[in-house]
Amino acid sequence: MQPEFTEVQRFLLDCPPFDELTGEQRQWVAQNIKAAYVNEHNVSDLFKQHSPALYIVRSGGFDLLAPDGHLIERLESHDLFGFPSLLSGRPVVNKLHVIEDGIIYIVSAQMFDTLRQAVRAFEQYFIRAHGQRLLGEVARQPMDVARRSTPGSSAAAVNGSSAAAVNGGSAAAVNADTAATGGITAGASRRETPGYEPLELTVGEVVARKPVTMPITATIREAAERMRDEKVSSIILVEEGAAPAPDQGADQGLHPSLAQVRISGILTDRDLRNRVVAQGLSYGLQVNAVMTQAPATVQARQTLMDALAMMTQHDIHHLPVVDDNQQPLGMITNTDLMRQQRSEPVMLISALNKAQSREQLITEARQIPVYMQTFAARVRDTTMVGRLLASLTDSMTRKLIKLYEQEHGVAPGAYCWIAFGSQGREDQVLSSDQDNGLLLGNGLNEQQLEWFKGLGEYVCSGLNECGIPLCPGNIMASNADCRRTLDGWLERFQNWTQNPTPKALMYCQIFFDSRMVHGNKRLYQRYRDEVAQLGQKDFFLGNLARLQVSVQVPLGLFNRFRGTESGKDSDLINIKRYGIALINDIVRIYSLQAGLTVPQTLQRLEQLRGSNLLNRKDNQSLAEAWQFLTQLRLQHQLATWGTDKPQNALDPDELSTLTRRQLKTAFRIIKECQQGVGLKFGRVG
Amino acid sequence: MGNLKRWIKRWLQRNKPWTEHTYVALDVESSGLDPRSDQLLAVAWVVIKPPVIDYASGRYYLIKHDQTELKQSPVVHGLVSKDFIDPTEPAEVLRELAKVLKDNILVCHYIQLDWGFLQHAAKQHGIKLEPLARFDTLAYEAQRLKRHQHHIARGELTLNACRTRYGLPEYNAHHAFSDAIACGELMLAQRYK
Repeated sequence: MQPEFTEVQRFLLDCPPFDELTGEQRQWVAQNIKAAYVNEHNVSDLFKQHSPALYIVRSGGFDLLAPDGHLIERLESHDLFGFPSLLSGRPVVNKLHVIEDGIIYIVSAQMFDTLRQAVRAFEQYFIRAHGQRLLGEVARQPMDVARRSTPGSSAAAVNGSSAAAVNGGSAAAVNADTAATGGITAGASRRETPGYEPLELTVGEVVARKPVTMPITATIREAAERMRDEKVSSIILVEEGAAPAPDQGADQGLHPSLAQVRISGILTDRDLRNRVVAQGLSYGLQVNAVMTQAPATVQARQTLMDALAMMTQHDIHHLPVVDDNQQPLGMITNTDLMRQQRSEPVMLISALNKAQSREQLITEARQIPVYMQTFAARVRDTTMVGRLLASLTDSMTRKLIKLYEQEHGVAPGAYCWIAFGSQGREDQVLSSDQDNGLLLGNGLNEQQLEWFKGLGEYVCSGLNECGIPLCPGNIMASNADCRRTLDGWLERFQNWTQNPTPKALMYCQIFFDSRMVHGNKRLYQRYRDEVAQLGQKDFFLGNLARLQVSVQVPLGLFNRFRGTESGKDSDLINIKRYGIALINDIVRIYSLQAGLTVPQTLQRLEQLRGSNLLNRKDNQSLAEAWQFLTQLRLQHQLATWGTDKPQNALDPDELSTLTRRQLKTAFRIIKECQQGVGLKFGRVG
Repeated sequence: MGNLKRWIKRWLQRNKPWTEHTYVALDVESSGLDPRSDQLLAVAWVVIKPPVIDYASGRYYLIKHDQTELKQSPVVHGLVSKDFIDPTEPAEVLRELAKVLKDNILVCHYIQLDWGFLQHAAKQHGIKLEPLARFDTLAYEAQRLKRHQHHIARGELTLNACRTRYGLPEYNAHHAFSDAIACGELMLAQRYK
């Protein structure tokens, strides 16, 4: 009779990807592995004898060396090696050097193959690990857990087939019940299944009815009648057979039978009241005279969060939903969003927008941290937290601007309220402070400048009272230095790019990540385009690159974690400064070189796809590392919220085995990409 | 100690390096400490060809015995009556063990106890257990410690305490099979040092 070896099984449960196996499968592994006591005398014979195989370090310490003798990694308990040659079929070339004698488990090639055929997640793990793609695990995980816990899901099928394969059809009958329980303990018990956040639904999932459209040649009255009959508050106006978006031209040529339309405008109840009835216009006019032209649209595959952000950004309540070919699929309204009852963010934004006074606004805003806690704990895509916080800050800013205008009259000229830094990049956290500025039209007189000075002071102090702390570096519209005309700003950027002192370079990192929150779009676009041109100078990029390369990632000798903090926190690693910020820096320099004007790191990476400078693999790795670190930081902040523990620094020893491996992978990616930046940009200038 | 000396002599005579032998790390569970009056409840073993412990060779048997005699053992090994729903006949276990031990070296932690129970049971069933030699990880460790220090403190020779000295992982499960593995690993660590 074969014993169950609970000790090994427990060890395997804490050794990804063996946690992906069912209890039954882990038992099978425990009953069939070999354990070797490895020391410097037997190490080379042992590997000759057993390779290719998967090796798991149980105790002791070992250095994995490349054929030329350079150290690849120091291996400790729970570390895996040997799988690259199992996957590639190439002979083992790396050597193992014993630092401290210990026990190494050997999983034979045959066992490995049985497991990877039986359990997809197990195989995926090694394929990813082989290509340094471990970070992708994070994004997938919660969804997998959710799927696994649904009854009769694919997990049961996996159990069935693997049990058969593992037992080789032998007498040992598989009890279906234990197999199923094993499946659940494998996943859900160790990770928390996140709740359901409606904002993560796609727009396409929510849009219920077909679009109500009419040609732009219809009369106002016909449009109103149609809206009445269909019981809708808005209507999409289209031009039949017109060419869709320019880049879709080729597509249309291939499918001439498809009747393509172009969305030319949108008409709402409010438009009928404000632009028709109140103006006393004739109902016989064509709708295109009163409709909103070229409205913002949202794609069906985008999330409700995207729709929400777009509505708050443009201060609109209706968004036509389109497919990938810009064809209308329906309409989404802020009422649709409000209907997602569990979503406090929607309520929050609408409460901010409805506030009648500064006091009311502050009262509403003060509730944000509490709501954000539950929201953050619920969402799967943690980048939504930063975006939502940015949207909330945007809403507060716009409301404060409106309140100021109510008191002091409308602005005496064109201007833009600009968000910099984390609000600009939409990766804000609860403790982020303000980074903002004002862009003014040229040629304003003293009195007019005074109006904007008042605006800057009013909004910044208001935001502070709403819970967005003042910027210690004084990058705020209340500071005359951050309240400039177009020429004034360009002069400042020119100065920075031509005299890249360390301080100037530091400023650049903040000011190049900008987004307009409120104001004149055309003015902002001119500013942004000219700033982008200044950022493309080789001399400047070279200096920026050298500054970036000088910051070391927290990986020390032997690829071990190296603390980044001082004093009693010296073992902690600040994953914001030495992780997320470094990726932002790397991505920024490629974006500057390419002349991109979007501020968000992930969007920049998306636009950089196809760039000759940043290859596809690095692009994807950076995105994955960024998402991983953002999620890790959020989890850490939720765990330490309300305590005096550091918000951005964590103790690597407190992380799970998988997270430690992933964190190392993330830092390794940053290190490699930093070197890339040094090589590509650092030599110039 | 005598066992060890004899074993070393035989080993020297054959002039075969210790790594060329096959070892059987074993642990028994009993209802008490006296082989003549107490019951043999379970036995577990694993085969070792240095430096490799093959888990597939691991065996664990709950042994049929007089149920009324089961007294204090549950405290030690967590074995209760319901564990013995499907026990194995002692003769069956001993016959398999005899085959495994033939020409191989038996390894136990405090071998006197395990060997005592095995011998007693084997005699009762007319089965001969003939390992090539016996190796006691406890006796070996005691000797080693004596060479380096004068006094051995209480508790320094338990299986876990010995393992800790060699940097071997801590096993929490008090189970005959887990102990057999733990003992086997300790033997490898001792011999490779």
